[in-house]
Amino acid sequence: MQWKIIYVTVGTTRFDELIKAVTSAQVLNVLQKRGCQNLVIQYGHGSPVKNSRNILHDYGITIEQYDFKLEVPRTDILNADLIIGHAGAGTCMDILNHGRAGIIVINDKLMDNHQSELAQQLSDEGYLYYSNIEGLAKAMELANLEELKPYEKSNNMKSFVRYLNEMLAT
Amino acid sequence: MTSPNKQNETKYPVFIVLGSGGHTAEMCTINMALLTSARGKEIYNPVRYIIANDDITSRSRITSAMQKVGVALDDTSFIYVPRSRKVGQSYLSSVFTTLWALLWSFWLVWSGQPKLLLCNGPGTCVPFCIATYICRQIRRLPSTTKIVFVESWCRVRTLSLSGKLLRPLLDLLVVQWPALAEKYKNAYNVKYFGKIM
Repeated sequence: MQWKIIYVTVGTTRFDELIKAVTSAQVLNVLQKRGCQNLVIQYGHGSPVKNSRNILHDYGITIEQYDFKLEVPRTDILNADLIIGHAGAGTCMDILNHGRAGIIVINDKLMDNHQSELAQQLSDEGYLYYSNIEGLAKAMELANLEELKPYEKSNNMKSFVRYLNEMLAT
Repeated sequence: MTSPNKQNETKYPVFIVLGSGGHTAEMCTINMALLTSARGKEIYNPVRYIIANDDITSRSRITSAMQKVGVALDDTSFIYVPRSRKVGQSYLSSVFTTLWALLWSFWLVWSGQPKLLLCNGPGTCVPFCIATYICRQIRRLPSTTKIVFVESWCRVRTLSLSGKLLRPLLDLLVVQWPALAEKYKNAYNVKYFGKIM
């Protein structure tokens, strides 16, 4: 499978290291090999990419970027072959519930790491890949998106609701 | 003819605290499941959504979620409350705002008499849980009143601060990951249903 459209998202945070890593020569080389044509970047509170013209020239990859977009459902996620996202719960959930493939990149600089626990758990269970900044190029090289499992919840919510309804009936 | 039991059920409202951001997103999903369950529209009626007064998105998000399951919300569905602590607020002033929030919660619970308080963090729900617990202890609320907290999807190994603080007061604390389920497997009020989000 070719990764024609790649969506990079940092949610409502600032994560310039991720933007920088994604537009580094190392990662762009992998992207080119994987057949990437469009790189859509949501840079949030951080800064946009400045050398997009060079990237188009050198790698044939068109960069489209914006800070925030409010949309339900999230068309940029739906249209992407791969999402590279920060470890926010909302981002993880949107990738999974839209049935897309993702690589979650941990921000090592953040002190509170319970969000990286979530990304790690989702990766342990085979729903997503996860990496830190340094390992991103490698993770992308090794990633086999067909291997990722679809995220299924079966009837668990129904069991919870039934339990709660019964609790209220007594 | 309605039985006295039925009358009781409709008399007491359900209070649901919307915590903003991801908390509201999860609560919308939960509420859609509640209202589409058998007898859901009967049990969860009337519902009062509690929203912090600086939260500008939760109301429209829950309104459109409920629209999808055929429930129309109006002004009477919402209660706005002061936030107990803003990010970056000084310690001293947060003591006062917390007391103020607790007073508010106490008044709302005392007068509203919820049969269920359902919340999923963050801090806004803490005074409501305390107030509901106290009102039940002092018999303002019947012993059948339930306090339920759903720990958020992003808590894999540790409970949130609200979850930790409130656990002794809760009738049900739902966790969403096996590591937390294992950690609290001996707690009578902690339950794990598998993936619900």
